[in-house]
Order: sequence, then structure tokens, then C-alpha cells
Amino acid sequence: MSKASQLPLAVDGLTTAFRVEGRWYDAIRDVSFSVARNETLALVGESGCGKSITALSIMGLVPKANGRITAGRVLLDGRDLVPLDETEMETIRGNAISMIFQEPMTSLNPVLSIGFQVAEALRYHTPLTGEAARARALALLEHVKIPSAARRFDDYPHQFSGGMRQRVMIAIALACSPQIILADEPTTALDVTIQAQVLALLAELKSETGMAMIFITHNLGVVASIADRVAVMYAGDLIEIAPVEELFEHPMHPYTEALLSSIPRVDRDAGDLKPIAGQVPPITAMPSGCRYADRCPLRVPRCATMPPLVGLAVDPNHQVRCWVRAADESVGA
Amino acid sequence: MSPLAVAMGRGAWARLGAGIRHHKMAAFGAGIVALMVLSALLAPWLAPHDPLEQDVLLRLAPPSAEFPLGNDSFGRDILARILWGGRVSLYVSTLSVLIAIFVGGALGILAGYIGGLFDRVLMAAMDVLLSFPTLVMGLLVVAMLGPTVGNLILAITLTAVAPFARIARAPTLTVKERDFVEAGRALGFSHLRIMVVHILPNVMDDILVMAALWLATAIRTEASLSFIGLGVRPPTASWGGMIREGFENILDAPWLAIFPSIAILVVMFGLNMLGDGLRDTSDPRLRHE
Repeated sequence: MSKASQLPLAVDGLTTAFRVEGRWYDAIRDVSFSVARNETLALVGESGCGKSITALSIMGLVPKANGRITAGRVLLDGRDLVPLDETEMETIRGNAISMIFQEPMTSLNPVLSIGFQVAEALRYHTPLTGEAARARALALLEHVKIPSAARRFDDYPHQFSGGMRQRVMIAIALACSPQIILADEPTTALDVTIQAQVLALLAELKSETGMAMIFITHNLGVVASIADRVAVMYAGDLIEIAPVEELFEHPMHPYTEALLSSIPRVDRDAGDLKPIAGQVPPITAMPSGCRYADRCPLRVPRCATMPPLVGLAVDPNHQVRCWVRAADESVGA
Repeated sequence: MSPLAVAMGRGAWARLGAGIRHHKMAAFGAGIVALMVLSALLAPWLAPHDPLEQDVLLRLAPPSAEFPLGNDSFGRDILARILWGGRVSLYVSTLSVLIAIFVGGALGILAGYIGGLFDRVLMAAMDVLLSFPTLVMGLLVVAMLGPTVGNLILAITLTAVAPFARIARAPTLTVKERDFVEAGRALGFSHLRIMVVHILPNVMDDILVMAALWLATAIRTEASLSFIGLGVRPPTASWGGMIREGFENILDAPWLAIFPSIAILVVMFGLNMLGDGLRDTSDPRLRHE
């Protein structure tokens, strides 16, 4: 644990359950990963695989009415956030950990000026008030490259384009110099050209401040351009985690493999595209073992029990949760 | 700047101003209301005579050059009494509506934001309040607690709290589901801050429209209660009270009742024009341009 405690963020065995018609089901199971300073970890997977639940669990924002963290720890600088109460979490959110949301069009309050919304986070978490907060907010808006920020400081969100609003969201997220930034599909709602600009801005800000970034996306093209490491999720399980090039070149988990061969590429024949047969099981009917087993061509009887996430013998940084592949590699290496 | 000042100060008031400027009916209504409010505020300087000064010789005197609206059964100047009475009417109705906005708005936002059992119990209580007709509620409170200005304000406030709670709750239900509320939580903002700084300004439009319409209702209720003798006590001038006094001489000296009636009519007309105009400008479906 001494290694993990030096990391800005380490998630260890995180399990979050939701109540569906009176029964509790694990939406994410035993999710473990960590992020280093100045590192971008991409969390990828299809819709509903638990990426956003993971983010909300880290933030302590799982809706209490029908969701709860049932096991695991979220270590921020070695301090476990899971047992903290609401008031303590409020001092951490937006301050040590910030989040950028998918929809810049609706994530800003339409009746408050953008300058006020940037300064609000500063006033709330830092001793800055009045003119000092305003000056710092303006500097932040300039930093995220909002053209003529001083003139637009008192404008309202509807006067900004989607890309500009996402820059405002980024300025708000960065306001209190967080150690961790959680970006939940921040470019999904944007045009491709704007997407590239926002990604470049995020990468630049990250290397400037040395913060750690968790980048949630289902777009593997974006992953390739921004991530240092990639964690792949399937149906609530983290099934593979590896440095980005390693993952693209040597995917180990059968799901990752299938996912990569289902990306259309301009330099290949469309006939080579392989869709993944079958569907993700519904949360009420999840197998207790490997959740991919039903669709997996490599299935063996052992898959009925949940495989552990283990490092490969050849490269301990490449971890995979698969009985067949993990065994192959460690024996065959 | 305090969060409340910001919440009230920017968006809603700015839009209110723009709404009044761009909507002829709203501007006309606002003009009438402003004129009536000013004349009431400036009554001590505008009134040509003391509203309580009696003169037996001028008893029921018709309008004249010196007393343009005539004199009442005690020979008091009706113009002075209307100006001074406006102060009472506007004071009572404005204060009760302000309290109702504050209490009702807070309850409505709380109910909408918290939801669940709290919401159901609170709204059921509001429905009980709503089931009393305004005048019956006024009668009940004033008859039980006594006819003082304070009780009059309490009575009108009680009838107005429920509608304001309802009008604040409805938009809160939709606003709380919007992404910026979740984003605010992710920034570490407390629920209270989200309600006051982020939800209230989104609800203010509806509340302000209601406020104009309810001010008219409050003025009418105050006049009604004064008319049946449960409002402001004589000899203090109030519009409802003046109509009642005039009613006794409606055949020989109709100006006693007519002029205060016109005052009530004009204020209510102005407030309704303002309220309807504001509703038009704040409801995009009704916007013509």
C-alpha cells in the first residue's frame, strides 16, 4: 500500500450496488486502478458498462435513494474517501477532485453569468473573495483561451458556443487547482474540430499543472490521442488495464480484442469488421463469474467463477481479468 | 456580493426590466402602479388637507375647487383620505405578498428539491390552505385574533403562501434534474447553496409574475375586510373603509364611495396589466415576435 499512498488517486476493490425492484445488484464490481501525477488514464467501455458509476462513486455522488458503495476504498493521497460524510466530501469535490461533464450546453446555469460561475467555485473553496476572485476567474478564462474573456466575463451561457462553454466548464473544474480531474465524455457533444481543440487544451493544462486525469469515453480514437494508460470496462467489471500502445498492439482480454477489431478503419476492408455476437446481460441477470463468458469464444468451465485482475508475467503493468489469457501468458511466456 | 443578492440581482430583475420595456401592456401597467405608489408615498406632501381634520360645515359637501373630490360625512377631505388610505392599502398588501413570497417560495423550492414524503405532506398542507377562499380565511383570522393591521397582514399572507409554494415548486421539479445541479454538486456546493444560488434565479420569473397578480388580490382582500369592518380601524383612512362609510350615503353623496372605488380599480387594473404582460414576456410560447 505504500506505493498506492503516494499516488494522487487509487481505487481499490470498489463495488457499487443499485437497488432494482427491491433487490440490490452490483453495477460495478471490484474495480481497482490508480492514476499517477501528470498521467491520463482513459476509462473505456460501451454505454452502461459502469464508467460513469465509477466516476460518481469516486466523487461520492452515487444517488443515496437507490445506490450505495458496498465495498472498496477510494484513496485520495492515501486518505479513504468512502467513509467521509457529506460535509467533508463537499470540501473535496471541486477542490481536490473536479469533474467535467459531457453536456456543456446544460451543465452551466443559464441564468448566471459565466464569470460568476467560475468565480463561485473560487469563493466557495478558496479564501478569495470579491475583486480577487473575479480577477482570478478572468485569468482562468483567459487560460482556457476564451477570446476577449474580459469583455465576455458577464455574458450568459446562451451567448457561447458549445466548444466555448466546454472551455468555461474546464475553467471551473480547474479553478481550485485540483489534483485529479474526472472528465466524463467531455468531447462527445462537440464537433470533431472543436473536439480536437478541447482535447489539445486538456492535454496542455494537464502537463502544465501535473494533475492526474481520468478520461471517460467510448471513443477509442480519442483514447489513442490523449491517454497514457487505458482501463477497459465491461458490464461493471474492469477487465483489462495497460499502457495505451500495449493495449492497442497486444489486447489480451477477448472483449478488448473484439472491441478493437470492431473499429472501422479507412485502410482496411469493411468486410474485416467483426461485430461482437450477443448482448450485455441486463443488471438483474448478471452471471456471477466472468460477465463476458456468454459471448466469449474462449469460454472454459472455470469462467463460472470470477477471474482476478492479474498482471502478466511478461509485463506486470498489463493487467487482465481472464482465466484463459492470464494463464496462457504466464505459462507460455 | 452575497449569493442572495446575486441570485435576485442579475438574471431575474434584468429580464423583468427588459420585459417591461419591450411589452407595451406591461409598461403601461407598471406606469400606473408606479404613479399610485408614488402618490401614496408622497401623501404627506401631496395631500392638500389633513385626512383626519373634521369640519361639520363641509359634511357630505360635493366636489369643489378647494376639495376636488368632495368631503365625507365628517367633513374630511376625500382626496387627502384616498392618498393616505393608499399608504395603508399598499403597505398591508405589499408586506403580506413579500412575506408570502419568502415563506411560500422557500417552502415550494424545498418541497420540489427534497421531494418524497416531505413534498407530499407539505403540498397536502398547502392544499388545505388553498381550499379556504381568501375572504373566509381573512374573516377567520381577523375574527379570532382581532382587527389589527398586523392580523390583517397575517390573514392575507396565509392565503397567499400556498399559491407561491405551488408556483415555486413546479419549476423546481424540472430545474433540479438539469445537469448544472449535478455539476454544482460535483463542485462541492451544499444543497442549500444549490437551492438559493442555482435554483431560485430559475424560479424567480414565475414568482414575480405571480407577485404582481397577487398584489392586486391582496389589495382587494384588504379592502373587502375593511369594508365589512374587520380591517383597518377608523378614523385611519383605508380605501375599503372609505367605501363602507360612503355606502351609507350612496344616494345623497355618491362621491364618498365612488372615488375610493376608482382608486382600487385603477391599482388593480395596473397590477393585472403588469402581471399579464410579464407572463407574456416570460412565457416563450406566448411571445409574438
